[in-house]
Amino acid sequence: MRKILSALLAALLLSVFLSPAVANAQEDEEVVVRIGLHAAEKNLNPFISPTALPITHDFTMLVYDTLFWSQATLNPEPWLATGAEPSDDMRTWTVSLQEGIEWHDGMPFTAEDVAFTFQYMSDLGGPGRYGHHVTDHPTYVSSEVIDDLTIAITFEDPLSTFTMLPGGDLPIVPKHIWEGVEDPTQDATSLAIGTGPFRMTEYVPNTSYVLEANEDYFKGAPTVDRLVMPVVGDAQAAFAGLQTGELDFVTRNLPAPLHDPVNANPDLEIVDGSRMQSLYLMFNTRKPALNDPVVRKAMSLTLDVQQIVDIVEGGLGRPGNDTWTHPDSEFAHPTGGHELDPEAAIANLDAAGYTVGADGVRVSPDGVPLAFDLLVNAAAPPQIRAGELVAEQLEPLGVDITVEPLDAPAIGAARRPSPDGPPTVDMFIAVFESHAHADPDHLFFFFNSPGHGGVGVVFSGYANPDFDALLAEGLTKPVAEKAELIYQAQEIFAEEAPAVTLSYPNGRWAYRPAAYDGWIDDPGHGVFTKRSFLEEYANVSEPEPEEEPEPVEEVDEVVEEEPEDVEEPEDTVVEETATDAGDDDDDEGSDDDDGGGFPVLPVALGAVVLGGGVVFAMNRNRDKTDTVED
Amino acid sequence: MNRYARIFGQYLLVVAAAVVLNFALPRLAPGGPIEYLAPPADGTVSEVEREEILARYDLEGSTGDQFVSYMENLVNGDLGTSIRESRPVVEVIGDRVLWSLLLVGTAVIVSSVLGVMLGFAAGWRRGSRRDASILSGVLAVDALPAFFVGLMLLLVFSVKLGWFPVYGAVSAEEMDGFARVLDIGRRLVLPATTLTLVGLGSVFVVARSAMISETGEDYVFMARAKGLDEKGVRRHARRNALLPVSTVSLLGFSTLVGTATIVETVFSYPGLGSLGFAAVRSRDYPLLQGVFILFALVAIAVNLANDLLYPLLDPRVRQAGSSENDS
Repeated sequence: MRKILSALLAALLLSVFLSPAVANAQEDEEVVVRIGLHAAEKNLNPFISPTALPITHDFTMLVYDTLFWSQATLNPEPWLATGAEPSDDMRTWTVSLQEGIEWHDGMPFTAEDVAFTFQYMSDLGGPGRYGHHVTDHPTYVSSEVIDDLTIAITFEDPLSTFTMLPGGDLPIVPKHIWEGVEDPTQDATSLAIGTGPFRMTEYVPNTSYVLEANEDYFKGAPTVDRLVMPVVGDAQAAFAGLQTGELDFVTRNLPAPLHDPVNANPDLEIVDGSRMQSLYLMFNTRKPALNDPVVRKAMSLTLDVQQIVDIVEGGLGRPGNDTWTHPDSEFAHPTGGHELDPEAAIANLDAAGYTVGADGVRVSPDGVPLAFDLLVNAAAPPQIRAGELVAEQLEPLGVDITVEPLDAPAIGAARRPSPDGPPTVDMFIAVFESHAHADPDHLFFFFNSPGHGGVGVVFSGYANPDFDALLAEGLTKPVAEKAELIYQAQEIFAEEAPAVTLSYPNGRWAYRPAAYDGWIDDPGHGVFTKRSFLEEYANVSEPEPEEEPEPVEEVDEVVEEEPEDVEEPEDTVVEETATDAGDDDDDEGSDDDDGGGFPVLPVALGAVVLGGGVVFAMNRNRDKTDTVED
Repeated sequence: MNRYARIFGQYLLVVAAAVVLNFALPRLAPGGPIEYLAPPADGTVSEVEREEILARYDLEGSTGDQFVSYMENLVNGDLGTSIRESRPVVEVIGDRVLWSLLLVGTAVIVSSVLGVMLGFAAGWRRGSRRDASILSGVLAVDALPAFFVGLMLLLVFSVKLGWFPVYGAVSAEEMDGFARVLDIGRRLVLPATTLTLVGLGSVFVVARSAMISETGEDYVFMARAKGLDEKGVRRHARRNALLPVSTVSLLGFSTLVGTATIVETVFSYPGLGSLGFAAVRSRDYPLLQGVFILFALVAIAVNLANDLLYPLLDPRVRQAGSSENDS
């Protein structure tokens, strides 16, 4: 018995020490970057991409291309396109395309593919994350292929920002692949074929992806030969993998509690970038008392958003603006800012007849107490923390908030109108993603009444005819006029506070420079972007002085640790994930971790276990003398 | 004969209850698959659109209609299409079932062997210092929550010592045969160890008390009296003490499948537990039903196996059964 056991043990140990050697045996000159994805993205099929999952778009765009890049700027760089000209009425855009581009399977890319992408998406009724580019404003009507490299795309209404959206966002798919597919929403396993800098060579559902460099990429071969991308859903495991050298980059935002430990690790670097996200508090403006702008504004005036940035984001972010739109967005209000005046808030509520009851909670003139449930995503620690702070800050105003963490589908159900009435939710905290902030018409989509496609209904129920009129007019106006109208709408927004932006968190990522250090910040996208892998962009910025350009080798499995460096990613805050648009995504575990910190407990427990083991071992030897073992 | 008919009758009832619960429980949670298919921020969907979307997954119509089609499909062995995976549930489960089997199977075997060895060692000399130290050691480990054990192992053996990989069941990189087997083995060690430690307690406790009760039996006394050495006596006692242990370790199979959810999450292990968890969070009814029915059937099958095995292992039960009573 004992012999068998020790043989097994020996085999196990042998395997442990042998396999790194085996893994390193196939080492060659290739640049391989191992990226820990925080969520699975199916097979990057653009017709079933989950709604606005934070990394969906940037991941998809490693394999696919858009006509322009990127959606976050008013004058995006021509990508598959060489340019685009609007007609006089701005309804039709004539797009000229790059010559000589090939799909990953060698077929030529032509205007037919572009026409097909728009038409197909439209025929399907706009499924998935990208569908709204053809079904919502701007609603796609038709396209006309003028020649192989020229296409005219027509929309229902005048559209001044075509190159941003849909030009900068809608992935162009190959006609020859998709035209034969009966139901594209059911294809979740085939390898994606695009024009992008990487070709997908391996996909294990929910587990991993391998992307190989597209050497023929029209902007030059990518700077990395291969991307190996396992899905590491657990935040602790992902950052542990980064420390051990199994991963070279993690797509997850580096949680604030990990900044110092990662900084202290000489093998890791931190890179900042703009994600154009916001964390917001939304009121259901159809509820009694919350339908009164005085009440909402009073709460806004009382909320100290700087404190929320300091505590929830560890100071790594900007305080929310009352004008909603992200300050880096092209259509951000020029002044923005947050008005903090708790005394005025109290005075306003007093004047409006909201009297403080015996329990310290105000009551509206109609007898409705200002006591509300605040729903937060239980899987997103920052939201829970923000919720607790909101509750604490609003207490002196006489508003009683009960924070209720729920899972995403439960919050979704509470936000959705039931057949017989408005949604039941009082207020909730969620994240507004960069794609939404970048969209020039996001205020229209999310706050217009009743809301284009009903979005406003689900989002807030906010209704103000003046606000609606400004945004509706802005939809079809040239950029300068449009911006002016949007600013005016933002001022109304700030005054009536259908929602309060709590913070604009920074993007921050950790990586292993020995494996790859070409990461650059692509505004609005962060560093996990195709531009980080293209010579034209990647090498220009980011000359890390302390890194000698040593030949890149496979990273060793075993990494020595500095004594005081990274202990563990326990208090890992995970970023949002519950996106505004789709608290759905979290299923993939993008949300996460319990974020529980246990500083003393583990040591104590460990000591108990260890102690027990030692006593056991000692006794074992003692007992040997009087017991015969077989 | 009679006995077997009764056993199977009982199990059929349990299966029927499981099938109904499997349909009802996911639907009792707030929210539904529509929250995933058309998230609130995408706008409200009209009733017509809603039915259209749900029809694609065979989830349209009233709850009654859905139940009828659920039963029909189940009878035909069709578990439907997963909503979040856009693939047949059978396929999604098929991707993972082997990993689950590997992880849980390893844990069951190792925890049974280890639990029996420790339990017998402790029980043989009840009340000795050895007994006390093994007992307190095992119970202390048993009391630790799975996620905590997993994280600690991860931090110590992966991050600090760098011995084992931190995530997944197999490397995403290509490897040839032998290297791949080693890779799978290395990645199995920490999750399987975690699960083993979690499952160890119950086997140990049963093995220990079984051994204790055997040591008081007449035949042990007799064996000693006729001068059999310790080793020989122990061999006799061990065989008899193994009986109750077989039940516990088989049952461990069904309980560890559940515990594996946490372990799989910590180690990003692609098993059924984490799949079920993901399905809950997206209210993916077809996938939920598929995973849960599998769990339920495994639990039922394990119990049935126990019922059927016991008489084979223990002649006393066999005799009792034939002369009327059992269980």
